[in-house]
Amino acid sequence: MRLPQLTLNQKLGVAALVLGALALFSQPHRGPFVKLDARELALVVEQEVDHVTPTELAAWIVEGRADYRLIDLRTADEFESYHIPTAENAQLPALNDYPIQRNQKIVLYSEGGIHSAQAWLLLRAQGYEGVYTVLGGLDGWKDEVLFPTLPAETGPKERARFERAAVVARFFGGEARTDGAPAASAPAVALPKLVSPAGPAQPVAPGAPRKKKKEGC
Amino acid sequence: MMTPLYKYGFFGEEFSLLVAFVLGLGFGFFLERAGFGSARKLAAQFYLYDMSVFKVMFTAIVTAMLGVTYLGWLGWLDLDLVYLVPTHLGPQVVGGLVLGVGFVVGGYCPGTSVAALATGRFDAVLYALGIFAGTFAYAQVYPAIQGFVNANPMGQVTLPEVFELSWGLVVFVVVIIAVLGFWGATLVERRFRSEP
Repeated sequence: MRLPQLTLNQKLGVAALVLGALALFSQPHRGPFVKLDARELALVVEQEVDHVTPTELAAWIVEGRADYRLIDLRTADEFESYHIPTAENAQLPALNDYPIQRNQKIVLYSEGGIHSAQAWLLLRAQGYEGVYTVLGGLDGWKDEVLFPTLPAETGPKERARFERAAVVARFFGGEARTDGAPAASAPAVALPKLVSPAGPAQPVAPGAPRKKKKEGC
Repeated sequence: MMTPLYKYGFFGEEFSLLVAFVLGLGFGFFLERAGFGSARKLAAQFYLYDMSVFKVMFTAIVTAMLGVTYLGWLGWLDLDLVYLVPTHLGPQVVGGLVLGVGFVVGGYCPGTSVAALATGRFDAVLYALGIFAGTFAYAQVYPAIQGFVNANPMGQVTLPEVFELSWGLVVFVVVIIAVLGFWGATLVERRFRSEP
């Protein structure tokens, strides 16, 4: 059988129709499935560039920096009772649809650090480049920022650092401690009231989704 | 390798400007090659005896749509990362009409006017001045119309999301519409060419 002679335009039209019909079965979206570069992620962890320390985070908040999104992965109740200033609340299962952008700096924390590390992996695997966890999670925040303790052996350097930490602790409504007991293991210590420390360092109300950065077209 | 290259950090902002420049040159070159650097060719669209503009634009839509679909299907393109201009239906309908009127009156659309400017056409120079004047005027009245410009925001949506259809079905329907459109456009051309 001979095919009918088609003009170039007709051939292109037929090609488009065939491709369009095939596309009926297409799955062009990645969905929740990811492909990850295990070696790259391992290197990022090895080089310890996957986290920020509570002290660094505290400095950002004090400076009023707004170039990061701080995400609290704990439950809404826990978030209500206390959270690090500037944090937004989002639990792990909801993170996939949470309005964060891949070009944003995203800082995650949970109670200890396990959930945030797991969320870190999930987000990195989905192509979020600037994801960090708070080292030690909220416990680390309490020990290092809210209730810093004076180290046992103190030189002038440690003392100066401790005094600086004490000022930061007061800023966040905490209190420096000299008795050597880490705060996280001493639950008797009352956490600061939620509203107290925010002050001028809070660029946006916690929980309020920030406006998406506008991109050119 | 995964695309979009820029979003995946294969190059930075400076290099992305260079890429944009090269792509822009290519865009302009092919507009000129298609004859769209001439207002006569473009105006013919509105007299319905030369439907090239319609055909070229619809071809571009179908080509890009199929390309994006298959690249996404193959896993070479992360569709979630592709930037979409947020939809504001009402304001964009009005804006489209304003652009259309400018197209009919001026004989160019913004892209083709730049291509025509590059080849030194005098009407394109006037058109470019008009673009600057219009941009300036828009900036001046923007505070007054700001509410309307940002009215009914729908976010970064696609047709499959709006109509709650599968991606593939929308692709297929658009291809059908396009092919019917090409066929219809050719009929229209014949009709309006024969009785000037």
